Amino acid sequence: MATTTATIVLSSTDLLSDELALSTTATLTGAGNSTGLTGTTGLGRKKLASGHATYTLFDGDDYTADKAHKLYLKNTSIIADEYFEIIVNSEQIGRLYAGDWAFFPWMANASTNDIKIDPSDDSMILEYMLFTDE
Amino acid sequence: MATTTAAITLTSADLLTDALSLSATKTLHKAGSTVGLDQTTGMTKAYLTATTNVDIFPTLIEGSMAFAGKSSWVYICNESEDETEYVIITISGNVIGKLYGGDFLWMPWSQSEDGHGNNRHGDIELAPSVDTGMWFSWCCINEGTEYPTAV
Repeated sequence: MATTTATIVLSSTDLLSDELALSTTATLTGAGNSTGLTGTTGLGRKKLASGHATYTLFDGDDYTADKAHKLYLKNTSIIADEYFEIIVNSEQIGRLYAGDWAFFPWMANASTNDIKIDPSDDSMILEYMLFTDE
Repeated sequence: MATTTAAITLTSADLLTDALSLSATKTLHKAGSTVGLDQTTGMTKAYLTATTNVDIFPTLIEGSMAFAGKSSWVYICNESEDETEYVIITISGNVIGKLYGGDFLWMPWSQSEDGHGNNRHGDIELAPSVDTGMWFSWCCINEGTEYPTAV
């Protein structure tokens, strides 16, 4: 068993009249237990060549369904209007603009429950890491 | 313009043979710009006592022109201390994943305008696993808020 932690810090001194200073730490464990996740794809980078085609980053068929997988994504672009569209199960979730990152659970609950990425421009680079509950 | 930052640190000394120490920090900007996001729902703390789906941002019209193509960020945390208690997160009925006790998510949310008449195509919904009471916190930091017309 491994111990992997994810910590998020949200902060702002001027979004509200009171300071925003949120910090949450989660230890990544398996579905319904306290056993640390032991699988990972490692930190990877993918250059999406051309055509703005939708790219399947993770196929739901390749991972055990109904588990506590966790996914980290980052758009490495430094051009403000370049984004990756994140698509789960053919549903558009949201956009990662330049420098944005996301971290969310993934159930892989069906063969159609793929994680797909649709870049706004050519030659954009996505950074990703999947922590798997297998 | 406000300056709001979101930072993540992923660490492990034993997941791999090399230590994992990944950090990323980003200032939250409006879509395609370097102008800071300036709206938020504020942080909600909720105690849910049913397993039915609830819409956690009912005042945001997902398909509206104020929302489509804009930049919105969502934080959700399952504050349960019971490792078996989870919540299923869905968007438009599509399951994203489960947050078990102590888990959080941080993700963008920018649905396209939709043909559904009620503009609820892209709702973010939670379904707790138990009806004995679970604590959650959530917030949305965004740029496009269009409130439903009162009826």
